Amino acid sequence: MDLDTLKPHQTVDTCGLSCPMPLLKTKKALKGMKTGEILEILGTDPGSKKDIPDFGAKNGNRFLGMVDGEKGVTHYYIMKN
Amino acid sequence: MGEDGLLRSLKEQLTNGYRFLFVNAWSGYMAGILIAVLALMIFLWNGMWGISGGYRNWGEWFYYLIGLGGDRPATPWMDPQSVTNLAILAGAMASALLSRQFKARRAPLREYGKGLIGGILMGLGAALAGGCNVGGFYSAIGVFSMGGYTMMIGLGLGAWLGLKVLLWEMENLPPATTTTGSDAESGWSVVWQRFQPVAGGILGILLIAAVYLYAAVDQARIGGLLIFGLLIGLVMHRSRFCFVRAFRDPFMTGEAEMVKVVSLSLMVYGFGSAVIKWNYIQPDTMGVYHPFWLGSLLGGTIFGLGMLLAGGCASSTLWRLAEGHTKLGVTLVTFALTNAAAMRFIEAYHIRHYLGKGLYLPGVFSWQLGLPLFMAVLLLWTLMAGWNEKTEKLVIF
Repeated sequence: MDLDTLKPHQTVDTCGLSCPMPLLKTKKALKGMKTGEILEILGTDPGSKKDIPDFGAKNGNRFLGMVDGEKGVTHYYIMKN
Repeated sequence: MGEDGLLRSLKEQLTNGYRFLFVNAWSGYMAGILIAVLALMIFLWNGMWGISGGYRNWGEWFYYLIGLGGDRPATPWMDPQSVTNLAILAGAMASALLSRQFKARRAPLREYGKGLIGGILMGLGAALAGGCNVGGFYSAIGVFSMGGYTMMIGLGLGAWLGLKVLLWEMENLPPATTTTGSDAESGWSVVWQRFQPVAGGILGILLIAAVYLYAAVDQARIGGLLIFGLLIGLVMHRSRFCFVRAFRDPFMTGEAEMVKVVSLSLMVYGFGSAVIKWNYIQPDTMGVYHPFWLGSLLGGTIFGLGMLLAGGCASSTLWRLAEGHTKLGVTLVTFALTNAAAMRFIEAYHIRHYLGKGLYLPGVFSWQLGLPLFMAVLLLWTLMAGWNEKTEKLVIF
């Protein structure tokens, strides 16, 4: 899947926040989404680079990938099951 | 194969080695075993490994310098726990630089507030429990001081409470404003990105030189602690070793990995220290002073709540700060100041008497029963976490 052309249904901004807030916000956002929808997460914490992919692949959800963007912000994409 | 091929092979091997150490994340299990071995080395070399004692030393210095009395504290670069802390910080910073992960990281204002309160709670909790997540829990269990177990229960309670607070915050307060783009993609930051590993290498060399310096002035004992601390800092940073996760994740995502890592680590630590104590290489009650049970339970609960708010315990505050998280700098300051003040208060009013006293596990249950019991508790913890990972029965969110 081409991450650059992906159209996320919802975006969560966790820039500046560190563990565990990015994960909590991700979990909360996923709860409110429908099957097949895509969640985008923005984050700057280096810890998220392991946490979000691990968590994103749990409970049948699919972790689609991550892209390092400008100003040290990483974009993560998860598809809700 | 000519000289050219040899050079290319050498370069390739160096690149692979660098990738292995500083690009790929280290496995948590490997880190757990390494940390247990290093904790045992510290135990053999000097005494039980702890962290809050070093924070207390720094807090005492502040009070001493502003004229709040007390005897002159030990010089920070001569106090054993202060030296291991400084070494963890420096080792983690060299590691962060070598991995190109060092960056001054600002956080939204509310996060600094949480860091400040978290530090106060951890400083207070560590004073009551006779140690932090390392000295009061990890090392305590590792050297068979029973206060470690009551602190463990307290840390679990505190983490549960802290997670509730974070959830409440997320549901009820507006999202904290973010500070994206702390520095623009200027030419300078590109240069810095390239230069980081060099800076890390230079820092590493200076730190090794400092070990020689200690030896040259007849302080090899302190120099040894510097080495062990540097290695702990490296291992913790590269594996992102976080005791908080062992207590928080079972309630948050159900993840059991860190519980398994800490359990495994403690098994190595415990069997190592059993051998050392059995042979009286170190006195068998060395490190057994944690107030069982009120002090360590109460202290553990307060500490657990604090570590959730701060987003770091005594050890991960050090390596996260070394990576540039300014929020944890605030935590470190309030932790040190509160811990020193609370220790003064506890001593002045003879409160320790009410908190409990150090109990030696083999002293109570004998070695024959004590070691199986030690193993049983860790296995039970692991099995429960594994069951919870499947069923998510304990997950509160």
